[in-house]
Amino acid sequence: MSSHGDSSLDKSGQKDDEESPEKNLWLSAHQDPVAGLYTFSTSISLADLNADSDHKLLVADLGTGTFDMKLKVFKGTSLFMESAIIDLPTALVTFYMDTNDPRTPAVAVASGPFIYVYKNLRPYFKFTLPPLEVNAVEQDLWNQAKEDKIDIHVLREMLESLKNEGSEGLLTVRSLKFLSLEPEELEAFASVHKHAPLKRQTVITCMGTMKKSMADDDAVSCLVIGTESKDVFVLDPEAFTVLARMNLPSVPVFISVNGLFDVEFRIVVACRDGKVYTLKRGSKIAKACIELGAQAVGLERTGKSIIVGCMDNTMVCYSTKGKKLWTVYLPTNITTMSLMDHKARGFKAVMVGLNNGEVRIYKEKYLVNTIKMPDAVTAMKFGRFGREDSALILITKGGGLYVKILKRTANFEGKDLTPGPPPAQSIKLNVPKKTKLFVDQTLRERDSAGSMHRMFQHDLYLLRLMAARAYVSALQKSLNPISSSTTEPLKLSAQVQGIGPAFKLTVNLQNISSSVPSTNLLITFQFDDSLYALSKPCITVPLLVPGLMYTYETLVECISDKGISDFIKVFVLHKGNSIPVITAVINMPVSEALVIV
Amino acid sequence: MGLFDKLAGWLGLKKKEMNVLCIGLDNSGKTSIINKLKPDKSQTQDIVPTVGFTVEKFMSQSLNFTVFDMSGQGRYRNLWEHYYKTAQAVIFVLDSSDRLRMVVAKEELDILLQHSEIAARRVPILFFANKMDCKEALSPVQCSQKMGLDAILNKPWHICASNALSGEGLTDGVDWLTDQIRLS
Ligand SMILES: Nc1nc2c(ncn2[C@@H]2O[C@H](COP(=O)(O)OP(=O)(O)OP(=O)(O)O)[C@@H](O)[C@H]2O)c(=O)[nH]1
Ligand SMILES: [Mg+2]
Repeated sequence: MSSHGDSSLDKSGQKDDEESPEKNLWLSAHQDPVAGLYTFSTSISLADLNADSDHKLLVADLGTGTFDMKLKVFKGTSLFMESAIIDLPTALVTFYMDTNDPRTPAVAVASGPFIYVYKNLRPYFKFTLPPLEVNAVEQDLWNQAKEDKIDIHVLREMLESLKNEGSEGLLTVRSLKFLSLEPEELEAFASVHKHAPLKRQTVITCMGTMKKSMADDDAVSCLVIGTESKDVFVLDPEAFTVLARMNLPSVPVFISVNGLFDVEFRIVVACRDGKVYTLKRGSKIAKACIELGAQAVGLERTGKSIIVGCMDNTMVCYSTKGKKLWTVYLPTNITTMSLMDHKARGFKAVMVGLNNGEVRIYKEKYLVNTIKMPDAVTAMKFGRFGREDSALILITKGGGLYVKILKRTANFEGKDLTPGPPPAQSIKLNVPKKTKLFVDQTLRERDSAGSMHRMFQHDLYLLRLMAARAYVSALQKSLNPISSSTTEPLKLSAQVQGIGPAFKLTVNLQNISSSVPSTNLLITFQFDDSLYALSKPCITVPLLVPGLMYTYETLVECISDKGISDFIKVFVLHKGNSIPVITAVINMPVSEALVIV
Repeated sequence: MGLFDKLAGWLGLKKKEMNVLCIGLDNSGKTSIINKLKPDKSQTQDIVPTVGFTVEKFMSQSLNFTVFDMSGQGRYRNLWEHYYKTAQAVIFVLDSSDRLRMVVAKEELDILLQHSEIAARRVPILFFANKMDCKEALSPVQCSQKMGLDAILNKPWHICASNALSGEGLTDGVDWLTDQIRLS
């Protein structure tokens, strides 16, 4: 399979995806629009499951939403393993629970009141949340039902009123299920369940991990779980005992954990009451720090800021102290949020999935990239997948699975798409250094500004005076070619033609008065008679009609062979008056030597 | 080259020297392939990911190859281009079982082909579709489709399946490369 092509240049290398910026940054590594996945960002994870640095994708799939729930593991582009989950999964995390070699992480799937822990992809342990106290009235009702002392309809009514008293969240799952059944199903349900002891259990709403005592990437981590009973538990990674239990005023829905359990940590939770609370090491009660404008739909942390996506299409950033730093307004609803932590480049950003199928990447409040997906994204994760460090997993509402890889040459810097001052504004101009001369001059100007100004003014006046004097003398001697005298308004121009020794001198004379004709004029010339000989040294000018141009000519012969030239003055005179009316001075060109043939 | 050298070359007394650049993504098997091409006694058993690059030499019947075995890790890939100028041939190793990263390999190939030192030159490129023994491995035909090799018009290229662990397919590739260099 060889090709010995001709030498035409390879054009196909320049791909057609140059025009849209989002394609420039991402390579499309895999796409399966019919993968049939139903999951959320909190239920997917990327981990080195086999400790072979080939990272797998783990998905807690909600199946149809009622059945067919599964834990799915993808190796590269193919499904590697799947295993059924009994109830709806709410969260999935991977964590190291021991220090054994090889360093294979465990997988924890939260579902109902349980956490299923898998090691080497085999079920390893099932953790159950500690049971809660059952409402005494509810217990009594079921006891009576067990002994057939009350009718199921009475039971239902009583439970209903108990629920309406405001203790809905305090009822057992059995009672709640019973209340939600159709009347004809009640009998069967009650007869099946009434003999079992009544237990009240809470369910897990969110889950995170927290390194125990070391910050290494593969250090042992504790599970941190939020529950419907408004509690946050920290579990020991090996024994699965409760290490810490903290209470919240509301039900946690999003959780973000930072720090080390044995040293110092901070757990930030967004709750169903529209507030964000912080829990610290040693604190039993949460501190409310942020009151949101709308319900939270996502919570991420980068460094010292907490970024919350809200139901009112905004993404708001707060400091850890609870001070609002900025708000980004989004065009549609947020479907999911996730952190993009590109460690190799030290780049951290927040990715926001929108209902219109866009995934936007914000570096702080600046939009740096947009990925357009065929469908709204419900789950996404950026991290190492397979052997690729900068892979982005996207799972859409329609169940599609897409894998994108950030190009090695991709650059997010300097690509701020939000309006603002142009970058050119902050470019420094290359102004040369001040020379000593410049500095000296400046100092001199500063010291003697007054005298410099006076000197300048003095010279300026002198110049004006000289100009005025020259003008006056020119007027007096009628040296100018335009006569401004009211009696003889004339205009004179003269030119020389030829290269010598014979020249022709042309004199143009015009009466520029509007109506008065000029009479009795003469044209004479003043010249060095050792140099030039004129054919007509004196021309009598007839009456000059105003406005017309009169042309007089005379031949000039250069009689010197020394190659020098002189000027010839042209005078227009009034008969009987020796002062010329106007004068023109003609600089004669140097004459060419006479060629004797 | 002096007349004597030329004569020696024709008579096969003196072997031609050849600079070859070996590139490809990390873990594709570049070092393993080069290791297998070396004489038995100088082969190593444990191959670790290359840091930066290493220079290796091996011989075919008529040529002395000097191979620059580059590291394929993302952070070292920007070293590749420094050796484009001196490269008289390129060996591009693909991990045919890594379907996910075929696009990344294609991207790196495109960058290579568009590079000013390579674009206009008739540098022969040998592709190894390595790890043919893996069960999820793509065939050389599939690899060349995914890599868009048909679009390479101004360079001779060749792709062959290989297994760097057993050595299968390697001589096929090296023979092709030797032919190319003798032709030029
Ligand atoms: N199954 C199989 N494994 C292979 C083959 N070739 C190489 N390997 C394995 O792939 C792994 C990586 O091989 P290397 O030769 O180090 O890869 P490389 O391209 O030099 O990697 P970097 O130096 O990081 O760029 C090793 O564990 C090899 O044993 C092959 O043909 N088949
Ligand atoms: Mg190597």
